[in-house]
Amino acid sequence: MRGCYDSRMAWLSDFLIRRGTAALALLRTWQGILRFAAQALIAASTPAAYNSATRMVVMKQIYFTAWQILLPFTLFAALLSFVLIQIVVSTAARIGQSDFALEMSMRILVLEILPLVTALFVALRSSSAINTEVALMRIHNEIDALEEAGVDTLRMEFMPRVIGGVVSVLALTAITSVLALVLAYLAVYGFQLWSLPDFTRVMGKVFDAAIMTGIWLKSLAFGLAVTIIPVAEGLATPRMLFMAPISVLRGMVRLFFVLMLIEVASLAFKYI
Amino acid sequence: MSAELPLRANLVVLENIAVVPQYVQNLSYLDAADVAWNLLLQVGYADAAYKRDPALTHEERFVAKLLRAVVGRPDLLLIDRPAMLLPDTRYPPFVDDVLRRLDDRLNHCWILDYRWNEPLYAPR
Repeated sequence: MRGCYDSRMAWLSDFLIRRGTAALALLRTWQGILRFAAQALIAASTPAAYNSATRMVVMKQIYFTAWQILLPFTLFAALLSFVLIQIVVSTAARIGQSDFALEMSMRILVLEILPLVTALFVALRSSSAINTEVALMRIHNEIDALEEAGVDTLRMEFMPRVIGGVVSVLALTAITSVLALVLAYLAVYGFQLWSLPDFTRVMGKVFDAAIMTGIWLKSLAFGLAVTIIPVAEGLATPRMLFMAPISVLRGMVRLFFVLMLIEVASLAFKYI
Repeated sequence: MSAELPLRANLVVLENIAVVPQYVQNLSYLDAADVAWNLLLQVGYADAAYKRDPALTHEERFVAKLLRAVVGRPDLLLIDRPAMLLPDTRYPPFVDDVLRRLDDRLNHCWILDYRWNEPLYAPR
């Protein structure tokens, strides 16, 4: 009887230790991500942190993250918007709610789908690259080498990536949203300008101040997530080359989780 | 400088050197690149200016790391086991030659090497 009790307690103790260790490791990871986010945001809001080298890295980051994908991504967003607008317009006509077609398509596209698709696109293209690069920098000791030479790596390598990523997500979201507005106008009213006042009235109703603030905050959160999580994950990579792909995998999973969390929080805030 | 402190892989040699005055002295890129270019000329390695780390010979990499360390005018420059940075070179005369060319920019320079390599160096 006593032996059975002891073995159960040993199993329970072992289980709790393993779970507890895993939970602590997870908490430490998120603590690292939040600490880096705070450092990057403080550095980004300090004017003295900007010099010619920082500005150059910001420009490069915007070029690689936004400018290089501008044309293909805009075409993809236009196609997606066109298809979704057509679906909403035809469905609304079928159920006799054509008056709401424009409002519905804008709510679906501009408020929800386009910011999320933009963040996912940037995450796939740039976040994975940032995560890999930072992980390799850490593994190869490049970060310590720069610090040793007197270079502040937060200002040179990491903060510019965060700023560039945020600016890129905001810019791409804005461009695709404007494009969706134009396509929605054409889908609902056709190729003419007489209905511009009606269109403006509906847009004014949909995009009130609270909604606009919400879109910008959500896009800002997306922009911060797609850069801060990969950088923090790369910085936490153990100094072993075989850990680089594991670091990228973890970073991408965490990033996806956070993007979905931001989207769900935004939906809950608006509609519940 | 040591084998364990590599160059930044995605920057060319000129940028690797220029980045230090850009951050430490807040120079513009053009001014910092001028400083880096003059240092490369001074040691006779201007050909390596636009190469990235994987394209460099051991000597070029050594010079690039040395100049990155020297450009900040440190009080003390420590070269840690030069043989690890220059495996295919008879390194004591090479290091001596490069350091001589940079004489006006060095305060104190120490070379850390194994005791059994001491006879390789010229008496100072």
